This record gives sequence, structure tokens and C-alpha cells, in this order.
Amino acid sequence: MDLLAQILVNGVLLGGLYAVMALGLALVWGVLNIVNLAHGAFIMLGAYLSWHLFTYLGIDPFLGLPITAIVMFGVGYGVQRGLLNLVVRAPMFNTLLITFGLEVVLTYLAQLAFSADFRTINPSYAGAHVAFGPVVIPLARLMAFGIAIVLTVGMWIFLLRTKLGRAIRATAQNLVAARLYGVEPRHLYAMTFGIGIGLAGAAGGLYGTVSQINPYIGATLTAKSFAIAIIGGLDNPLGVLVGGLVLGIIESLTVAYVGATFGDVASFGVLVLVLIVRPSGILGKTA
Amino acid sequence: MKALWLILILLALVALAALPWYGSDVVIQFGISTLLLAVLAQGWNIIGGYTGYASFGNSVFYGLGAYGVAIAMVQWNLPFGFGMAFGVVLAVVFAFLLGIPVLRLKGHYFAIATLALAQVMAAIVSNIPLAGQNIGLVLPPLNNDRLFYELSLGLLVLATLTVFWLTRSKFGFGLIAIRENEEGAAVMGVNTTLYKVLAFALSGIFTALAGGIHAYWITFLDPESAFDISLNVKMIIMAVFGGPGTVLGPVVGAFVLSAISEVLSSEVTSIAGLFFGVVVVAAVVLMPRGIADVIRRFRTSGWRYFAENIKAHRL
Repeated sequence: MDLLAQILVNGVLLGGLYAVMALGLALVWGVLNIVNLAHGAFIMLGAYLSWHLFTYLGIDPFLGLPITAIVMFGVGYGVQRGLLNLVVRAPMFNTLLITFGLEVVLTYLAQLAFSADFRTINPSYAGAHVAFGPVVIPLARLMAFGIAIVLTVGMWIFLLRTKLGRAIRATAQNLVAARLYGVEPRHLYAMTFGIGIGLAGAAGGLYGTVSQINPYIGATLTAKSFAIAIIGGLDNPLGVLVGGLVLGIIESLTVAYVGATFGDVASFGVLVLVLIVRPSGILGKTA
Repeated sequence: MKALWLILILLALVALAALPWYGSDVVIQFGISTLLLAVLAQGWNIIGGYTGYASFGNSVFYGLGAYGVAIAMVQWNLPFGFGMAFGVVLAVVFAFLLGIPVLRLKGHYFAIATLALAQVMAAIVSNIPLAGQNIGLVLPPLNNDRLFYELSLGLLVLATLTVFWLTRSKFGFGLIAIRENEEGAAVMGVNTTLYKVLAFALSGIFTALAGGIHAYWITFLDPESAFDISLNVKMIIMAVFGGPGTVLGPVVGAFVLSAISEVLSSEVTSIAGLFFGVVVVAAVVLMPRGIADVIRRFRTSGWRYFAENIKAHRL
């Protein structure tokens, strides 16, 4: 029983992090209709940025998150404005391919710049933990989870309440009508992609504190983010949070009861199952 | 005109077939890997180019073919030919088992569902004792690069003839109809599920055969190299660069890109992978329909061709 409780807690903590990873992918997909296959590669870049800030400048990974997010926002804005805007109206397959190419480029650049070695962001409190009865919670994971929740809820409020958030939602519903109300699509698309990549960067920073990073983690993270976005639907960041928690718990259970190497197999199985049973997502109305 | 093309292609084929007798060892080895990559691109062309289902997981078939040969030869002491057949059986079974549910998905859903396939298969295979788990299998060596070269060339010719047959058979027209308009095809009486699964399996058979030849040639196999994700990258890029949905496009794409990447990586190591990524990004922006279309339209539009492509798709 204690073991099960511990596994469930681990799953929930992991799930919060997964939710932040998927948040940016779901936003970009829902608004721009681009499934960004380079999303995981941007998460990887965010993780390396955090790692460098921590290792060379001594900036705490959690305090450094805003820096990582802002830098990655700039990268995302530039990529959309300079590159993806050129192919936005092409068939779906072309946008898939170009982001696939981006993923390859980013992975190899990361390999050239950072080498293929595994890295971890190890702040002094990495080993610290809090105990609730028999359940032990590592402090870093708990903090990552807390920030993940804050980001998800913040994203929800941002989309509902701010002018930019409303413009983004309006564009997602009807680009032509949004244009008539004064939305400049090139800028707005770049802003949306920038926010998505900024979130990916923050997710990468959090990922680096709880797991190992190397240049090749991107593809798996993209697939997981996609699975979560599918489970949660694209309408609502809170749906993505639920999707993340579901995947996190399933993965923790699989790793504990089936075997460590089967974690990714389980999340892929969930992905295919959800796609087949309900392509519009468990919670979502549109996808 | 048609006869001229035929003669040109036959001459090129003869030159290619004779290469092991005048090329150096290095050239022959480069030839084998290029020919196998061309087979992969041509195999992807069947499902991605003709049927319009962009599979990002075709390297799974490659791994299955490789393991089919390795398991048959190492664990059961059977001949190479049996191993190839076993690999094909594995690929076809996989195509049906997974294809029936996954091919119901459209567009990007299908693409992503296949994206994680290779990693999942690597994870599963590394837990199977018969497949040597994480450690892999060592095959009996056969130092006969000429044989491997001619086998690869033969396989490429077979794959290309199959694709050529697609362009003039009822089956092939059915696949193209599915690519252009799936509902329309179904209304016209095409059994879309069956056609798609068959296309997936056909694509898988050639990919598996290429994997089998490669495994016996390299004589070593482990989950990581068998289900190498970068192979997906290469086969898709080569097919798209050459012209997806054309008979010779993927082969030309594979030859051109392999040659450039070989030259580049002999100058600066590890830059080859970066090169493939840059090529696909540039190709999608500037020439989304591949070299075949550039050659056709460059004569009339000149350099404006590239600007027109950007203009057609930008926001």
C-alpha cells in the first residue's frame, strides 16, 4: 500500500512536469495548426540553457527559469517570423516535414555544441526531501511540480483574460474574422509560437532538475507531449494538465510493476489507444 | 523520347552493376550503403509518396528485417535466404497488426503515431532473450562485398519496378486516389483500409529486405543500431528531396544526398546529420515538390520558381 502511494505520488509529480511540456505544443497546434515535431528539441535546448546558467553563472535552476523562458521565447518568435510563416499555408505534411528538419538541425547543433554526454542540473538541495508518513517527496520534484501548476493555471488565465490571449483564441477560431478586428497575423503567429517555445524552454529547465539531459531526448519528449495534448484536448490548458497527470501516473505504474525500460512503451501505447478510441481527446471538443 | 529514356536508364544500370569490377573497396562500400538507402527511400515512397500517409516509423521494418536475418542465422543456424524470408514475414505481420488500427488515423495523427514506433520497438526487443537483449547478436562474417552490392542493386531495381507497376495498375491508382481524396476513393469503391494496409506492408517488405542485407553485411546488430531513428530522417528526406510520388525521384534523391553527405563528412565529421536537416528545411520552403518538379518547371519560370513556391504558402 505504501509502495502504491509512493508510486502514485511520483506519477503525479512527473505528470505536472509533462503538462508544462505539452502546454506549448497544444497551444501552437490549436492556434497555428502546426504540429511542431521540433517541440522536444526546444525543450532540450531550454534544459541546456538552464544547465549553462547554473553551471557557469551559478544561477539557481528555478530562479533562472524566467531567463530561460524569455530567451526561448525570442528564439521561437524568430523561428516563426523568419521561417515557419513562409510555409504556414502549405499542406500539413510540409509543416510536419519542416519542423522535423528543424528537430534534426537542433539535435545536431546541440551535439556539436554540448557533446553527447549526459548532464544533470544538480543544485545543493538536489538530495533534500520531505516525508509524509511513509511517502517521500524529493524537494526538487515538488518545486518543479508547483511551478508546473502555476504555469498551467497562469496560461489559462492569460488566454481567458488578457487582450493578447483573446486575440490568440480569436485567431484559433477564425483567422479572417480576427484579421478584420485588427489582428496582425504574422506578428500574432510569431507571438503564439514564441510563447509555446518559451513554455518548452521552461519545461526543459524543470526537466533538467529531475532527469538527465542529452541532445537526443527531443523525439521522445515530442511524442509524449503529443500524447498528452491528445488526451487533454487543445481547448484548455487545464485539460493538458489532466493529460499530463494521466500519463505521469501510467508511466510510474508501468515502470514499477512491469519494468524500467517499458515506461516509454506504456506512454506510446496510451497514445495509440487514445488516438484510436477518441481522436478528439478525452476532454477536448476539437482537435 | 521514351526509347531514349529507356536506353539511358539501362546504360546507367549496367554501369552501376559493373561498378564492383572497376571501383575501389571504399567505393563499393559507399555503393552498398547508398543503394540500401535508396531502397528505403523507395519503400517510403509507396506509403508516403503514393498513398499520402507520411510514416515517420518505417525504420521499424528495417529493424525487423535485420533481426529476422540475425535470429535465423545465429539462433537457429539457418541460411541467409531463410532469414530474409523470416524478416519479411515479421514485417508483414507487423504491418497488419499495427497498420489496421494506426492507418485509420489521418494526416498528422498518423505521422505522430508512427514517430515513436522505433523507440518502442527498440525497448521491446532489448527485453527479448531470443534477440540477444541489449547486447545484440553477432552474425557469421561473409567477406564478399561484391555479392552484397549486387544484392542491394537487385533489391533497388525490384523496388523501383514495383513502384513503376503502381503507376499503371488498379492498385496504384487506388493508392493515388486515397492520397488525393480518401472519402472520394471510398465512394468510388476502393477498399481504402485494405489498400492502405497493403501499401504499408509492401513498403515494409522492401525496408525489411534492406535491413536484412545490411545486418548480414555489417555482421553485428543491437537494438540501438537496428531501430536507428536517423534512418527515418534519411529515407524521408531523400524521397522528398527527389520528388515523392514519382518513380525515379527517391532514387535520384538518395544518390545525390548520399554523395553530398559523403563528401561533407570526409571534410568535417559529424556535419552530415546537420546537412540532412538543413536540406529538408530548405527543400520544404523552396522546392516542396522535389527535384523532379524543379527540372520540369525551371525551364519556364527560371529562378522565379523558388520565389513562387514561397509566395504560394507564406502567411
